[in-house]
Amino acid sequence: MAGDDPAGPIVQLRRRVKATAEEIFELWTKPDLMARWMSPFPGAVDCKASCDFRPGGSYSLVMSSEEARREVSGTYVQIDRPRKLVFTWMGPLTNHVNTLVTLELNPRGDETDLVLTHERLPTPEMHVGHTKGWGHILDHLAEVVEAS
Amino acid sequence: MIEIEARKDLASRTERLDAVFAALADPTRRAIIERLSRGEARVTEVAEPFHMSLNAVSKHIRVLEASGVVERQKKGRDHILSINTHSLDAVDGWIGRTRSYWEKRLDAMEQLLRELKKEQKSAPKDRKHGRR
Repeated sequence: MAGDDPAGPIVQLRRRVKATAEEIFELWTKPDLMARWMSPFPGAVDCKASCDFRPGGSYSLVMSSEEARREVSGTYVQIDRPRKLVFTWMGPLTNHVNTLVTLELNPRGDETDLVLTHERLPTPEMHVGHTKGWGHILDHLAEVVEAS
Repeated sequence: MIEIEARKDLASRTERLDAVFAALADPTRRAIIERLSRGEARVTEVAEPFHMSLNAVSKHIRVLEASGVVERQKKGRDHILSINTHSLDAVDGWIGRTRSYWEKRLDAMEQLLRELKKEQKSAPKDRKHGRR
């Protein structure tokens, strides 16, 4: 759904956000701000973020509550401030398999259309078949969420 | 792929998921699934539309069986193939969890944006990043 030749299932969310692309971009890239919204634990008990913000640089997020701890890490693939950010993502959500997250920010006046795409990367086995996309029979597996 | 079959019983959710993804990553195998999504069929019926040997199609079918996506039943001399729709639940599960995770994160992001705007209004001098 995102890109012409997706290699696996894709989750895509779209939102119109009442903020500029620059303001949103900051939330995704400054560790002190990342820590304030990226944790899945209510009340943000403890969240530490760090990032080496350059293509090829890595980031990590450690989020903990009293009984659980989650760690997410990855590498920045593409940085096009403030329009696009692409990074790999590995954590409990992806069963510690490397995945790819793309954030696109398209200004609409003083608001911004945010498109978030999270896709699984092809495994080595997947290359065997010289696959060209997933074909329409798998379209029902790709979710496009239109929110507000 | 044979390894995947051997590991199947022990496989973690990740490995099963990867096996399903790998099985689905080939156009011939997707075409086979598409055929079977219209109803169960004999191996020979499934192979018919492909410009390849029955043996080549059978290899693809075996990969699909190993991943758990396709099941084979013997009815007399016929081998009947059908889709195990349950096997696709793992894929749907990943999509559902991931979607739900980001929905909540984006809610939190928008909440923080509102908070930051309030802070900004009450203390405009603290604004660190000026526009242009």
